[in-house]
Amino acid sequence: MINRIIGALGAEGIDTWAITERTSHSCETFFVRRNMDLKRRTSLTDYSVTVYRELDRDGAKLLGSSSVPVYPGMDVEEVRAALREAYFAASVAGNQYYELIEGAGEDKVPSASAFAKMSVEEAARAVGEALFAPDTGDDVFINSAEIFAVKRSTRVVNSRGVDVSWDTCEVRGEFVTQCPAPQDVEIYHSFAYAEPDADALSAKVEEALRQTRDRAAAKEPPKAGTYTVILSGDNMRELFDYYVSRSAAAAVYQHYSDYAVGKNVQGQDVTGDKLTIDLTDGEPYDAEGIRLTDRPLLEDGVVRTIHGGARFSSYLGIEPTGSFGGIRVRPGTAPLSELMSRPHLRVVTFSDFQMNAMSGHFAGEIRLGYLFDGEKTVPVTGGSINGSILEAQRTMRLSSELYVTPTYTGPLAVALDEVQVAGT
Amino acid sequence: MKLRDSVYLEKKRPLFEKLLGELLAKYPFASILAQDAAEKSCRVSRRLTNVSAGGTFSARGFVVKVYDGSHWSEHSFNEISEDLLPGILGEVEATAAMSEAVLPEGVKERVYSAPGAGKLTFSGSTDYEVDPDGLGDEEIVARLTAIRDRGLACSDRLIDCQASVTWNKSHKLYLAPDRDLTQNVMWTTGSVVAIASRGQEIKFSHKGYSVLGGAELMEDMGGEVEKTAATVLELLESEPLTPGEYECVCTPEVTGMIVHEAFGHGVEMDMFVKKRALAEKYVGEYVASPLVTMHDGASVVPETGSYFFDDEGTMAHDTVIIEKGVLKRGISDYLSAMTLGTEPTGNGRRESYRRKAYTRMTNTYFEPGTDSVEDMIASVKDGLLLCEPSSGMEDPKNWGIQCMVSYAREIKDGKLTGRVFSPIVLTGYVPDLLKSITMMSGKLELGGGGMCGKGYKEWVKVSDGGPWIKARIRLG
Repeated sequence: MINRIIGALGAEGIDTWAITERTSHSCETFFVRRNMDLKRRTSLTDYSVTVYRELDRDGAKLLGSSSVPVYPGMDVEEVRAALREAYFAASVAGNQYYELIEGAGEDKVPSASAFAKMSVEEAARAVGEALFAPDTGDDVFINSAEIFAVKRSTRVVNSRGVDVSWDTCEVRGEFVTQCPAPQDVEIYHSFAYAEPDADALSAKVEEALRQTRDRAAAKEPPKAGTYTVILSGDNMRELFDYYVSRSAAAAVYQHYSDYAVGKNVQGQDVTGDKLTIDLTDGEPYDAEGIRLTDRPLLEDGVVRTIHGGARFSSYLGIEPTGSFGGIRVRPGTAPLSELMSRPHLRVVTFSDFQMNAMSGHFAGEIRLGYLFDGEKTVPVTGGSINGSILEAQRTMRLSSELYVTPTYTGPLAVALDEVQVAGT
Repeated sequence: MKLRDSVYLEKKRPLFEKLLGELLAKYPFASILAQDAAEKSCRVSRRLTNVSAGGTFSARGFVVKVYDGSHWSEHSFNEISEDLLPGILGEVEATAAMSEAVLPEGVKERVYSAPGAGKLTFSGSTDYEVDPDGLGDEEIVARLTAIRDRGLACSDRLIDCQASVTWNKSHKLYLAPDRDLTQNVMWTTGSVVAIASRGQEIKFSHKGYSVLGGAELMEDMGGEVEKTAATVLELLESEPLTPGEYECVCTPEVTGMIVHEAFGHGVEMDMFVKKRALAEKYVGEYVASPLVTMHDGASVVPETGSYFFDDEGTMAHDTVIIEKGVLKRGISDYLSAMTLGTEPTGNGRRESYRRKAYTRMTNTYFEPGTDSVEDMIASVKDGLLLCEPSSGMEDPKNWGIQCMVSYAREIKDGKLTGRVFSPIVLTGYVPDLLKSITMMSGKLELGGGGMCGKGYKEWVKVSDGGPWIKARIRLG
């Protein structure tokens, strides 16, 4: 199909273009309690073509671009019609000029995951075994679960010689744990693994069951006020995404961010842990075909990289780093037990913890928290936290323990001072 | 004008019919949902112009669903031809037969009884006044550019003003032993966003537009761009709010978020099947003020959640969920209805042919009341006007509320004081909020600019809304 598309591009006189081909196979299983409710498989191939058009507006050299999906099974005339329409659209979408990424044909990068040696059915079953293994009780149990085992191949080709391809495998999903007494409650959890890790998933389920039992015992929201709030686990990535978003070349170019290499973004009088963050990715290339290598994003609170693809990097006159999907955060020196030694509210699950990268505001409704008043710890539920990373970053303290997911490696927990809490 | 049928789907129809025939020779029941949805967006900001096809709801492909006498299975794919049919059949059979290969130890497969429904043939299309593709990219970009320029001209303190429009032409064909259904639906959405900064803090104000139709939407766009720009400048002076319970008046957009997030997700009956919804225990009981009557339905109002039949071949409904404060019933997909022994309500929706169908909302709203907005604000001694919803998350099991709005305006002695608080988090217990509603304005307003997820995935297009409401709400 790619040859058909390239042929159609030539026939339409389009000489600057990029094509992405994505092929995927998945096995999906859906469970209600310990019954499989539905089984699914998918077998899909998608093509996206971006066409570029050099434009002259009042003597200024611009580059217009437009993307269009191309579907398998389209004949040459259908492909040409879609490309023709996109090429016209490019003529009215003129932006500052830039050059596409140049490259060469590279050998396909196979997935290094052990999932690659398994069928998607085997991978789904293996994860299902690990998920349900700790689910042995009737007092607290897995209410429902979904598992998606996916193998994906991606190829990126452009008119400047780039021709790269790679395979990825992952199993991701979600499960809900329920505890019916003393009050009937549930907690939602998600997971994603690039490598089989039955022990990690079983441990996650065991912890989820424990938390759900605690939530059933939690009766009241915390009292309204300001607290040292400790966040942990999957909320860490969401919190630190603020720095990834603000250091994106697209945000800088559009003046949504004033980040620049060398800028101290954490403040001058940091009394907590200084942030050191690297950009990482489990895939060898980004969507433009740029080879991804780990990059330092922040070092002790100072910006080291403005990151982005060809377009916005060119606009800023910097090296295109590519677009990254993961981060690695340097842990702190204090263990979580030390962070928890002072009065605090540790929120372990929210309805939905959200970090607004534009405003720096973070918030979430508390599904389960543990309130420590200096003497005793009680589980709490309800109410919400409402804070700003701009105010909290100067004193934030990171745990020395690590938490690892396919897109995050870093401290397990962070303590944020003076966070406003809405409660009773 | 009516949106025309998909040429592609009609061309492939004989193949779908042949595939269905072969599947029915092997299985008691099989269905095929074929989708051809084209989406396009134009966006103009201070420094960028983008015009591209594709997007969340752009898709062309197929899902085959099979019942083998006990269990259900699905196979999604996106290429079909005479030559490929044997291979597709083989994939469908392999999926139906893979239970042993995927079942974890100690886990069984749920047994369903045979499906059945009355025979039905249907073909329908939505109306539009102006075809966006006919209007053309150049004209659309020119109009958006004019809106952007008007916005930017309001103040040099604005970092940006974005104007965008997206349109989607969705064609579906559903074939089953008892069904031959086709539908063609077009919706269009637009937005204007004004952006300004207060140091490192970026503030924005947003105005959304939506229509079950085409580029006629653009006639209304831009009418309030100056107001949107003025609002974001006010937000630069906003203060944090002291957490507490407040007497609040909500705009229809905020009402819509409360309707959708706080209560709508809790009456999705696939949650009843999983025993994940508190609402199941409250059918027949008061869960809201007697002023509240709540609807959901793809056929009830023309908005972005509208269609003629759902992704399981059930015709669209108008479901009255709450009637004068009493919870009457939930909304349901087909399999959940089979399990619960209820009637499906036409709410079985997929993100696309690639994904499973779940119970999903469509157009969800509170009926209007009889109060005037002026009287509502005048009745508040010390409270807030909540404006511009930004996001929310459901908690069907425990009816906890998490909704965020961009800002609140202070009301003192029945008058807006000009003081603005931002951002605002709504929290508390859903029935407490709904039972505290004491006033509702007389006009129903819906918005379909956003989309709805099931948890953190499975996006579908919806609309929500209602009148202005007055209630007591816990805010953070």
